[in-house]
Amino acid sequence: MKPFKFEQATTAVQASQTHADAAPNARFISGGTDILGEIKESVLEVNILVSLAGLSGASEIISSDLGLEIGALVTLARIASDQSIVETYPALAQAAESVATPQIRNVGTLGGNLCQRPRCWYYRSPLFDCLKKGGETCFASDEGNKYHAILGAENCHIVHPSDVAVALLALDATVVVSNASGDRQMPIGDFFVSPDVNMLAENVLEPGEFVSKVKIPKPSSGTRSVYLKAKERQAYDFALSSVAVSLEVRDETITQAHVVLGGVAPVPYSVPQVDSELTGQKIREVDVQAIGQLAVKDAQPLSDNSYKVRLTASMVARAVSRLISE
Amino acid sequence: MATTRDYEPNVVLSNQDYNVVGTRPLRPDGADKVTGRALYGADFAAAGLLSGSVLRSPHAHARIKSIDTSKAEALDGVRAVVTSADFPQGGEGPVVWQRDNVLASDKALYRGHAIAAVAAASPHIAEEAVSLIDVDYEVLTPVTDVQSSMKGDAPILHDSLMTDELGEKADKASNVASHFQHVKGDVKAGFKEADVVIEREFTTKTVHQGYIEPQAATALWNNDGRLHIWCSTQGSFAARDACAKILDIPVSQIRVVPLEIGGGFGGKIDVYLEPVAALLSKKTGTPVKLVMSRADVLQGTGPTPGSYAKIKIGAKKDGTITAAHAYLAMEAGAYPGSPVGAGAMCVLAPYDLENALVDGYDVVVNKPKTAAYRAPGAPNAAFAGEQVIDEVAKAIGMDPIDFRMKNAAKEGTRQVHGPTFPRVGYEEVLEAMKSHPHYNAPLDGPNQGRGVAVGFWFNIGFDSACNIAVNADGTVTLQEGSTDIGGTRASIAMQAAEVLTLPYEKVHPTVVDTDTIGFTAVTGGSRTTFATGWAAYEAAQDVRTKMIDRAAQIWEVDADTVELEDAVFKSKSDPELSMTFAELAGQLGRSGGGITGTAAVSPSGVGGAFAGNIVDVEVDPETGKTEILRFTVVQDAGKAIHPSYVEGQMQGGAVQGIGWALNEEYYMSDSGTMDNVSLLDYRMPTSLDLPMIDTVIVEVANPGHPYGVRGVGEAPIIPPTPAIANAIENAIGTRLFALPMNPAAVAKAVMDK
Repeated sequence: MKPFKFEQATTAVQASQTHADAAPNARFISGGTDILGEIKESVLEVNILVSLAGLSGASEIISSDLGLEIGALVTLARIASDQSIVETYPALAQAAESVATPQIRNVGTLGGNLCQRPRCWYYRSPLFDCLKKGGETCFASDEGNKYHAILGAENCHIVHPSDVAVALLALDATVVVSNASGDRQMPIGDFFVSPDVNMLAENVLEPGEFVSKVKIPKPSSGTRSVYLKAKERQAYDFALSSVAVSLEVRDETITQAHVVLGGVAPVPYSVPQVDSELTGQKIREVDVQAIGQLAVKDAQPLSDNSYKVRLTASMVARAVSRLISE
Repeated sequence: MATTRDYEPNVVLSNQDYNVVGTRPLRPDGADKVTGRALYGADFAAAGLLSGSVLRSPHAHARIKSIDTSKAEALDGVRAVVTSADFPQGGEGPVVWQRDNVLASDKALYRGHAIAAVAAASPHIAEEAVSLIDVDYEVLTPVTDVQSSMKGDAPILHDSLMTDELGEKADKASNVASHFQHVKGDVKAGFKEADVVIEREFTTKTVHQGYIEPQAATALWNNDGRLHIWCSTQGSFAARDACAKILDIPVSQIRVVPLEIGGGFGGKIDVYLEPVAALLSKKTGTPVKLVMSRADVLQGTGPTPGSYAKIKIGAKKDGTITAAHAYLAMEAGAYPGSPVGAGAMCVLAPYDLENALVDGYDVVVNKPKTAAYRAPGAPNAAFAGEQVIDEVAKAIGMDPIDFRMKNAAKEGTRQVHGPTFPRVGYEEVLEAMKSHPHYNAPLDGPNQGRGVAVGFWFNIGFDSACNIAVNADGTVTLQEGSTDIGGTRASIAMQAAEVLTLPYEKVHPTVVDTDTIGFTAVTGGSRTTFATGWAAYEAAQDVRTKMIDRAAQIWEVDADTVELEDAVFKSKSDPELSMTFAELAGQLGRSGGGITGTAAVSPSGVGGAFAGNIVDVEVDPETGKTEILRFTVVQDAGKAIHPSYVEGQMQGGAVQGIGWALNEEYYMSDSGTMDNVSLLDYRMPTSLDLPMIDTVIVEVANPGHPYGVRGVGEAPIIPPTPAIANAIENAIGTRLFALPMNPAAVAKAVMDK
């Protein structure tokens, strides 16, 4: 670990400017559960950490008729237990609850969770100068890729580690990004970028920019959602495969569907062909196994992770099955 | 999951009544541990303490052409840099291997192999200095699994290593350090008699003990020439002896102070940091502390080996096993010395066999030198052997416990490797399993299954010492040299209290350094409660005799007429003469001086231990995830001195076995790097992954110990992997032949069915 400066920002403008001035060797920190590990393990060297923890207004959950606004500093533990989220946005509460351990959920924040770096063990080892770190090789291409991507990966085979992002994408959330001159916002699907677009980052943030809040539209009365996560152990584990599904059901018919996969692609992975297949179907007539198969039809497993294809199909089938029997 | 006990937790067959032995008092070290006051290895502090850091090889196999430390030495704040060249040179065989494992000389033999070390004013400077050391490596092809390493064209680790083939040295370098055999009867003839013969192959991966406290050591090479070492170790004398050998100095020149230990499971017997810290202290003249990170622990200390096994068992329709052949090959890691020898002693031990053959192969590979891990070698062997036993029982249509009972080893059974069993409690363990409500409860669901398996561990004796001193207030202090990993301060003090008829609370045990107590072997081999407990028993007898003599002297009666009962001395001849232990203790100074007792023992009456598991699982055939629904451990403890700590050992062994069965593995890349080098990616089970683990202690007294103790620490890790494998087979109708049986592997087995 190399020495670095720690700057406690009190305003968004100050945080943004401090970060922008020191870019590219500055990072924002809120809960710190991910970035401190990266620094200690010599995966990342920074000159300055800009803490967002003191920013006012970023720790609130505001529920209105339009929907929900969650500040980026809200902890995962709060999201998992917030009554309005548990009742109206169950997939999000379930995704937050599935993260790591109580200790990490008590400290880890929504913004930090969305911006966490990949868990790929080549990326996380200082021994491997991989594509993600500016090197020329993806070490997962040929071997040691049990936990890597089966969908949407060209050169770099990371999977996006966030559980919460998968649920938020299924719930059509919007990400609000702040910098010194103000805010911009985008659908969460546009916030994440695959390595083909930008090898060195997993999102669109520019120097000086940070996630300040997430907005979720109020679901219609017939909407239901769920998040399921397959992991090797019951705590302190990332997804082998996960799925968030949001269905709007009217008169026993699916009128809107959004199925999103996690743990299998470099970004939270929408499967629009599944959404359109589901839309218009009578819930009693849905063939969930076929839906599961459809979700993985483009899968390109690596040498050690073909198990993820069947697993993911099964997770999708289970999630859809659970929602249509609600 | 059973929430309340529907069975008797203790099957007590030892029939003596005790006052203290068999009770469940609080451990003396409990308060410090739960309040965070206990001082562990890394907590040690001293004036002028320097921080050290170790440079580790990025290559799994490389020739070290040169090491340039000049840039590191020039860094401000750096006080010393050492390499293997700073050790005394010479010698051959094990001492060179041990020295080279601590700091590599000519070759780096595994990723994480220590190459050089720095002492500096702060950990950060030390770390930076390490990155300034230039090593010129000639990178060689590594070989990281036992089967590849045994092939003729495998890269050779040691040019001087020739196979010891059944006692004969070969004349060509090989990675096979040795091949040995144990033979009983005629297996060829035995297999001919069989109605059913089943032969299967099995593999297991490297796994780590996973102790929570990383290794830590501080050394001070004092101006008077004496070397003081404060460290986290399972054996202060073992650490002293290893350092003496590596540093080529007399043992008397070294004092090792064992600090509190945060787990070991066998992995803290070998030294890694101690000799290096000593070299750095010698160069700097100040104390130097080295502490490992988790990545250092996983890559730079000894795990337990990956292995290959082929097991063939034949039986008649009536259930008699006619012959068994076990072929075991285990990875030693970078230097010879895998636990295949112990595995070979245990693999067929539960069975009374007319004809048996065990082949053992000790094979070097480019991974860390393996260290002991709880019954080393036996779980690898049992994963193979106990699955074939299960399959044979099924093939002849016999209940797997009945099949084991029909062939059960008992007192007088000659084991394949030679020794004859004294009284052992295996049949009693099987009876307790068979009659347990768990074994007879119905399963509930299509993908549920039940499995059983057993395991044997021989346990060890070796040397232990104990001192006891009587205080004027009627308490006694007890000094012992066994590091306390599993509650042994309590289980040792209890044996002294029993002899002295004192309440447990009156005995104050302390684990002391190597200058303060007689030689005491490691806390390992499930020996501590057995052997150091025996030393405490003898030291207490010494005190008892002296106290009785003193009472007799004060009363002016014959010592034969004085007895000690319930902490009161009485004269058999004069009922008026009576005095409590405390009253006599208060008079010692005036009546001739204080009383101490001492003992040094090396007991031979070691009692082996059998453990059995009953496991229910539910397998999700789509995700491949195995959930443990119910888990029962039955084990012969001989006599459970402190039943709670015996149950703790049984549960702890089961937990580690479950992790080994379902998740844990070194995930090695072709380049010989461990990919999953963190406890996030190296998945040990959490409390949420585990069921309540029920325990049944069977007590068949060991005739070789005053209280009947058998060691209990290791046997319980042996049966879990095969018991779970047998349960999975019962659940999904297909058998897994490789560890770990993780979701990917189980899902594949279901697909391939």
